[in-house]
Amino acid sequence: MSAGPPTSAAGAREPWGWLPQRLRPREAELPGSGRQWLIETTLLVLVGVLLAVATFNDVARQTGVNERLIADIATWRAYTGHPYHDLGVDQELLGANSRHEVVCGNTVPGAPKAKTQICLLVWGPVVAGRRTVHGGWYLPPRSEDARSERYGCFGSARAAGMCPP
Amino acid sequence: MSVAAQSELGLTRARSARWAPALASLLALLLIAATAEIVIDGAAGHSALIPKSPAIAGWLAGLGEPLGYRVFLIAMLLAAGAYGGLLALLRRTGAPAVSKHGAIALIGALHLIVFAGPVLLSTDVFSYIAYARMGVEHGLNPYLHGPASISHDPVFYYVGHVWRHVATAYGPLYTLLSYPFAPLGVEGALWGMKLLAQLASVGTLVLIWRCARVRGFDPVAAILAVGANPLYIVYGLGGAHNDLLMMLLMMVAVSLTLIGTPGARREAEAAAVVVAGALVKATVAVLLPFMILSRRRLAPIVGALAAVLLGGLIAYAAFGVHGVDIVAALNRDAAFVSTDSFANEIAHLFGKPGVFPVDHDLLKAGLVLIVLHLMWRTWRGYDWISASGWTLLAISVTSTWLLAWYILWPLPLAVISRDRRLIAATLFVQAMFVLHQIAPLLAPVQ
Repeated sequence: MSAGPPTSAAGAREPWGWLPQRLRPREAELPGSGRQWLIETTLLVLVGVLLAVATFNDVARQTGVNERLIADIATWRAYTGHPYHDLGVDQELLGANSRHEVVCGNTVPGAPKAKTQICLLVWGPVVAGRRTVHGGWYLPPRSEDARSERYGCFGSARAAGMCPP
Repeated sequence: MSVAAQSELGLTRARSARWAPALASLLALLLIAATAEIVIDGAAGHSALIPKSPAIAGWLAGLGEPLGYRVFLIAMLLAAGAYGGLLALLRRTGAPAVSKHGAIALIGALHLIVFAGPVLLSTDVFSYIAYARMGVEHGLNPYLHGPASISHDPVFYYVGHVWRHVATAYGPLYTLLSYPFAPLGVEGALWGMKLLAQLASVGTLVLIWRCARVRGFDPVAAILAVGANPLYIVYGLGGAHNDLLMMLLMMVAVSLTLIGTPGARREAEAAAVVVAGALVKATVAVLLPFMILSRRRLAPIVGALAAVLLGGLIAYAAFGVHGVDIVAALNRDAAFVSTDSFANEIAHLFGKPGVFPVDHDLLKAGLVLIVLHLMWRTWRGYDWISASGWTLLAISVTSTWLLAWYILWPLPLAVISRDRRLIAATLFVQAMFVLHQIAPLLAPVQ
C-alpha cells in the first residue's frame, strides 16, 4: 500500500475505493496550504462586517425613530396645550421612510380614543425638542384613523384632500 | 524561544497569576450583581420586560423598582462586559484564573438567582403549560388547536397574544414530557418548567465538561463560556425555554460519540438521541447528516431510522397525523419576521422597510449552500461537531425570526469545537444581538 493521503479508501477493497481520489472520504483533513482556511476566514470576516454595519445602522435608525417620537409627542402637547401621555403616533401613514408622522390624541381628558381626537401632521427637523405641525384633522370618539372618519382637515391635510369631501 | 524570552514569559505569567484570580472574582461578582439586579427589579411588578405571571417571586417584590429598559440594558451590558472579561482573562493567563470550584460556584449562583426570580422576557413557558393543559385537562390536541381553545383555563391569561391562536410547533416528545406538569396547576407547572430548565442546563454543563476534557480543552473555560453567558442565563434560563432540553439531548448525542469506547452501538445510540432531540425541537436534527458523514457506517443511520420509527409511532398514537407533521409547523414559523433578526437589519441597511418574500428564498438558498459546503468538508475529514455548530449558527443568522435563545444553540458545540473560529463567531453574533437592543438607552421614549 502506498503512503498516500489518509483516506479511508486507499485501495479497491475499501468501501469508497471506487470513487476518484479527490472524492473519497477522509478520517482527518490534510494539512494543505491553508488556502481554504483563508478563503473561509475572509468570507466570515466579510459577513461579520456586514452584520456589524447592519446592527449599528439599525441602532442609529431606531434611535432616530425614538428621538422623532419624543419630539412628535412634545409637539402635540405644545400645540394642543394638553399634557396627555396616551397618544398614538403613526409612522407608516405618510410613508415608512418619509419621516412624516401623524400624532393623535383626545381633545379633552378621557380614556385613549374615548373622546373627540385631534390628529396632527408633523415633520421637519427637531428644533428645541419639537418639530413643525403642517396640518391635521379631527376624529369622532371611539373611532380609528380611517379617511372616512376624518373631518375638519386643516393645513397640508386639507390641501392633500385627506378628509372626505 | 530564547532563554531570556522564556524567562520574561514566565515572569509575566507569575505576575498574572497574582492578580488574575482577584480580577476574575471581581468580574464574577459583577456578573452576579447584574443578574440579581434584573431578577430583583423583575420581581417588583409591572414591566414591559416581564410577562404577566403568577406571583412566584413575590418574596422579592419589595427589594427593587419595576424593571425598566434602561436598568435592564445597563445590567445586560455590564454582564456581557464581565463575561467577556472573564473569558479573555482565562485565555490570556493560560493559568487557572478561575478554579474549578470557583467556576461551579459562579454558575451555581447565577442559576439559583434566576430560579428564584420571575419568568424573564418571554411568555413561551406559558404556551408550553397551555399545550400541556389542553391535552391533559381538556382532552384537546395541541397540534390542532391554539391556547384560545381553552380561554376559560387560568393559564390562558398568561399566554402571549401572538400565540393564542397558534397550535404547538414543538416536537411530540416535548409535548408528552410536558404533560405530567399539567395537573400541577399553573403555578406548580411553572415551577416544574423552571426546574426542568435548570436540570437540563446542569446536565448540559456536566457533558460539556466531560467533552472538553476528552478533546483537550480547559473544561473550566468551556463551562464558564456556556454557564455564565448572560444570554444563556437571562434569556434562556430566565425564560425556562425548552431549547435547554434540546441542547441537553444534543450534548448527550455528542458525548456518546466522544466519551467511552467507540463502536457501532454507541453511534446508533447517538443518532437515536439526536432524533429524540429533534422530537423536542426540530432544529437539532441538523446534527444528523454531519454525524453520518463523519462515521460513514450503517450504525447511525439504523439508529436514527429506528428512533424516527418509534418516535413517529408514539407521536401518531398520541396526536394523530398532525403530531408527526413537524415540517408544517417549521414552515409556518419560518415565515415570521422579528425586529432583532439580522435579515431585517440588513433590509433596513439597504433602505427597505423590512424582509420581502424573495428575501426568505435568498436566505434559504444561502443556508443550503453553507450546509452543502460543510457536508462536503465533513466528508473530507472536517470535525463534524464544528460543522454542526456552524450550521446552527448559520440557521440563527439567516433566520428572519431570531430570538435570543436561538443564538444559544451553537454555543455548547462551539466550546468543544476544534475550529476555534466557531466560538469567536458565535460570541460575535451574540454581542451584535445585545448591541442591537440598546436604542432605548440612547433615546428613551417616555
